[in-house]
Amino acid sequence: MTISKKSMKWIPWILILPVILIRGFTTLYPIGATLKNSLFDIKVLSGVNEFVGLSNYINVFKDPKIISSISFTVIFVVVSMVFHVVLGVALALILNMKFKGRRFLRTIVLIPWAMPAVVIGMAAKWGFNNDYGMINDFIRRFVSDFQFNWLINTGSARAAVIAMDLWKDLPFFAILVLSGLQFISGDIYEAAKVDGANGIQSFFRITLPLITRNVITLCIPFTLWRLTTFDLVYAMTSGGPGEDTSLIAYRITMEAFTNLNVGYAATLAVMLFLVMALFSWFNIKVMNRMSD
Amino acid sequence: MKKTVSILLTTALAAGMLAGCGGNSSETKEEGSSAKKGDYDLTLYSINTTDPDFDDWLKNVEDATGLKINVIAAPTDSDTRQQKITTILSTGDSSVDIIEINDEMSASFKNSGWLEGLNDTVMTEDIRGEFPQGYLEDMITDKDGNIIGVPGYSGYLAFWVNQEIMDEVGIASIDTKEDFVKYMEAVSGDGRYGYGGSWEKTYVFNEIAQFVNMFGGDYFDWTNPANKEAIQFLHDMVQNGQTPIDQIADKYEQMNPKANDGKYGSWFMWGLGTDYEKADMLGADKIHMAMVPDFSGKGQRAIFTDSWSYVLNKASENKEAAVKFLEYMADEGGMEASYKAFDRYPARADVAAKVVPDTDPAKEMYSRYAEECNVAGRPMLPQTMEFITDMGTIYQSCMKDEITVDDFCKKAQELVDKYSK
Repeated sequence: MTISKKSMKWIPWILILPVILIRGFTTLYPIGATLKNSLFDIKVLSGVNEFVGLSNYINVFKDPKIISSISFTVIFVVVSMVFHVVLGVALALILNMKFKGRRFLRTIVLIPWAMPAVVIGMAAKWGFNNDYGMINDFIRRFVSDFQFNWLINTGSARAAVIAMDLWKDLPFFAILVLSGLQFISGDIYEAAKVDGANGIQSFFRITLPLITRNVITLCIPFTLWRLTTFDLVYAMTSGGPGEDTSLIAYRITMEAFTNLNVGYAATLAVMLFLVMALFSWFNIKVMNRMSD
Repeated sequence: MKKTVSILLTTALAAGMLAGCGGNSSETKEEGSSAKKGDYDLTLYSINTTDPDFDDWLKNVEDATGLKINVIAAPTDSDTRQQKITTILSTGDSSVDIIEINDEMSASFKNSGWLEGLNDTVMTEDIRGEFPQGYLEDMITDKDGNIIGVPGYSGYLAFWVNQEIMDEVGIASIDTKEDFVKYMEAVSGDGRYGYGGSWEKTYVFNEIAQFVNMFGGDYFDWTNPANKEAIQFLHDMVQNGQTPIDQIADKYEQMNPKANDGKYGSWFMWGLGTDYEKADMLGADKIHMAMVPDFSGKGQRAIFTDSWSYVLNKASENKEAAVKFLEYMADEGGMEASYKAFDRYPARADVAAKVVPDTDPAKEMYSRYAEECNVAGRPMLPQTMEFITDMGTIYQSCMKDEITVDDFCKKAQELVDKYSK
């Protein structure tokens, strides 16, 4: 029995059919439904379900809550990612040094990453409390009359949220950078040393160029995760004070599941999806250019 | 040949997986539903499962009704709980028959058509009069006059004071607005405040509405001068250091430890003081409920009442059993069981008089609240959480001086107009 070339063409499709069906049901259908819902005004509690075309998309830019969410999301993503890269590389370099207890440090450094964000958020709500929090308790050991409630002012609440995000995910970023560092041969550093390069020169001339591609690759998922963060603020600040720490993903969740404004939430989700797709495309372009 | 066999095998495997998936899933579903039907008469979505006495309560209910009850624990986080319950009801999910809902959910769901009316079955005319009328009308009656729930208990947004602080400053009672102001001035200072609250944006609504009520205002009419007076009063308390601005980050779990630590002289709070009791701070000489001050000067005291109500999912397929359950919960036996297991003060006045012993410190004050105060349900609109959150957001801005009191009143009226549509 032989199978013709024409029939062979269908075999791979048959083999991946289960995956296509599962993907279609769990990913493509929800995306299609979300796109459709974004063109409707759907308010479950009021029983409203009307086609409104692009009105939801226009209203997004007139809604002060969304403007505030977009503003904080941009700040959150940019500041958090800058610190991820700078501190992540620094931490990776430390973890790459040869010292006693290095293996132990590499293990415990990942503990915050392994903890659920909601748990961290709830703990942070207490941690930043003026009366009972460990942050102020620590500061008061140096400044005895220090009084400050981090979560009631816009700037400090935003800083606290970013700090907790870094505390949780920075070690994971560092460990992934570390894996890149370990691919750099020791011979290169030896040769540089022989040529008279000091530590700083070695870092900027050897280490950094060789891990740049690795770091940029890591920046794609880490940025996308920042864009979809909602659990941390959900547990830590509930988006407050006011709406000042409402990340866009948190706002989508609130609109969809608490306020039940399904159409509006779908619009926000589509817009976030487009931003994420655009960002990924841009990153891939940059990486391709670097390869060339 | 090898190639052909391997292709056939993998094709068969893929086809088998697909067929297997479909076959198994439908079989499991049928088995699951028939097993469920056979084992249980109804399913209850409960908020009390973490209570140590829950099993005793469940046994009591099952013995009294003869029903076998399947219990699903509701999430303890309020937002998550509301999301889950909304999803169950809005999708016509029949896997849950009875659900416990709070006032926020009642306001959202009562006119949605998702809940079964109980006028002819459970909340019949003969017992209706025994429940707090203001609560029944404001919170759990739909636009067509159908009562959609059985109140599981009767709670008040009680006025709490710290007696040790009162004794220290030499103030015996806080009966009028002037007494309240004097108390604020006497207590506040050195990290202590005359009044404390939980002003997190989704919690502060209770206190805004309470003060508006005490000043004789109307929460749905922000052109009313009494509303502005109430907000100005709260704003001045912040400015004068009589209540802390820090509390805009606080929910009840942050507020109560501060009350226990003697940081606050007075506050409004639901419940019978379980958190104070746990800290050994509940008592006539420590933390206790007091009569709400009369800010009107006309002997009119205002207080809010709340409850969690048992409601019947309209999509339920076990309505007969569900009605039997609800009848028991509306009856003396069910209310007594809830009081004993969960410290829930009976919603029916006649049952409370019989079941609650005179030694219970809440009994006297709850009876006085019922007799001496204008008892009402909280002012809510169908888009409840959105309205509450938006009001909380502008209130926080006002207290932080980001907007003026006049701006607050203007924006509050806009929100009322927006969410009343």
